[in-house]
Amino acid sequence: MRHQTVLFRGKLLPVIVWVLGVLVLWEAVSWLLLDVIKTPLAQSKLPYVHKVAATLWEYGDTLLKEGGVTFSNAAIGFLLGGFTGALLAILMSLSKWLEQLAFPYAVASQMIPILGLAPIIYGIVRDEQISRILISGYITFFPVALNMLRGLRSVTSSSLELMYAYAAKPWAVYWKLRFPASIPGLFSGLKIAAPLAVTGAILVELMGARRGIGVIMLRNLYYGPSHTYMFWSTVIAGAVMGIASYLLMSLLERLVAPWQPEFRPKGGGQ
Amino acid sequence: MLEATSVPEIKLEGVEMKYQTAAAEVLALHQISIDIARGEFVSLLGPSGCGKTTLLRLMADLIQPTGGEVKVAGKSAKEARLAQKYGIVFQSPVLYEWRKVKHNITLPLELMGMKKAQREEKAMRLLELVGLRGFEDKYPWQLSGGMQQRVAIARALSMEPEILLMDEPFSALDEFTRERLNEELLSIWSEVGNTVVFVTHSIPESIFLSDRVFVLSPHPGRLSAVVDIPLPRPRTPDMRNTPEFFELIARIRGSFEGV
Repeated sequence: MRHQTVLFRGKLLPVIVWVLGVLVLWEAVSWLLLDVIKTPLAQSKLPYVHKVAATLWEYGDTLLKEGGVTFSNAAIGFLLGGFTGALLAILMSLSKWLEQLAFPYAVASQMIPILGLAPIIYGIVRDEQISRILISGYITFFPVALNMLRGLRSVTSSSLELMYAYAAKPWAVYWKLRFPASIPGLFSGLKIAAPLAVTGAILVELMGARRGIGVIMLRNLYYGPSHTYMFWSTVIAGAVMGIASYLLMSLLERLVAPWQPEFRPKGGGQ
Repeated sequence: MLEATSVPEIKLEGVEMKYQTAAAEVLALHQISIDIARGEFVSLLGPSGCGKTTLLRLMADLIQPTGGEVKVAGKSAKEARLAQKYGIVFQSPVLYEWRKVKHNITLPLELMGMKKAQREEKAMRLLELVGLRGFEDKYPWQLSGGMQQRVAIARALSMEPEILLMDEPFSALDEFTRERLNEELLSIWSEVGNTVVFVTHSIPESIFLSDRVFVLSPHPGRLSAVVDIPLPRPRTPDMRNTPEFFELIARIRGSFEGV
């Protein structure tokens, strides 16, 4: 127990110091801009932390509600995109021919700027929810497909020979060897994609949606300096959603694939 | 120890293995003919490049010969593999890192379609046999190299294979661990009683373990001698220090050609 608290403190203390340091520095710089240098629009450039915090607190309900709309749509798109990406990776690993056919399209799809694609999709489907889901999925599938494909291909020739020596059926080679071996790759893809899916959903909202964190963000940006604190609050809320999505994937990875080298205690086992 | 019975368990006849490289054709194995009896423990001994591992891989049907034939109990090596007659242990343990120790051992049983309760019970008995009881729920990385190799042996034994093929299984281990595992392997084999083909480049190891040692020489890989090991069974560690043992070492050393 004692040992645990020491470890806990040893890990947590630097984080607390670091965060507090940044906040103090932030507060100091905004004071410097506003009261010492007297820059025009000082609070738009870097508002007081305590005022932003107060706004976050005051409008917490709204932010949570609108953030929830954004996050849930992003999550659905993320799941769909993740599923599509994983399926594509499996298909590409099954056939070199299919990989050669599909891969250039997958790469090309990532060349299209999302900023341009979002209004196109919105124009076609005319539904903000579906647009958010589609864009989030679109962003997700590529990193997932790419990383999972690498994972599926990462199996060593000797572990394949082992399967061969035991006369394993092709599906068994997939189910018992290639698929488990690809899980770390799948999660690196998911961890890259999760925050991007949130950003993508917010981007769609900037194109003229009625709900979502992006809508309040845009509205408060239009209203100008008087709404600076609210604008910053929405930016922070967006960032928090991105970080949360990443942490969620990390947690899931620990539960699903706890055997990976990075989860092993330092200094080896036994 | 065991006399060759009517149908040999493994029969190699005029086996030849050629590789085509960019520069030239390489003859890896030249005219190898070997009979191995059921229940016999044999070693394939030789320096690197003599084709001993290639020979083992031919028996396992991991590769196919360019000439001659490999027969296992009268059938082709492929039929034997598909009938799951082989247990195989590689130079490295090749454990699946996402599986706990016991589930690495049950892998071949899963492929055979054995029921879960039976599999797990069997894994526990095998863990007992290789002296790893209590480690069933560990992951491979939590075990030392020697322990991992013992898990690999338990896995190879899990489906009670008629033939156990071992490709330098202890070469990555230190001398002490290796000798201890040699003794353990023999005691396991005396219980299981299957045919073992053991690839090694260590002369003492091949003598200590085997009924017969096939001495292979390189360039091209060929069989240069077959040495009977008349040491009684069960073999004990102190046999390694007897005059007969040293005499066998000298005899085998003298039988290499062109090394």
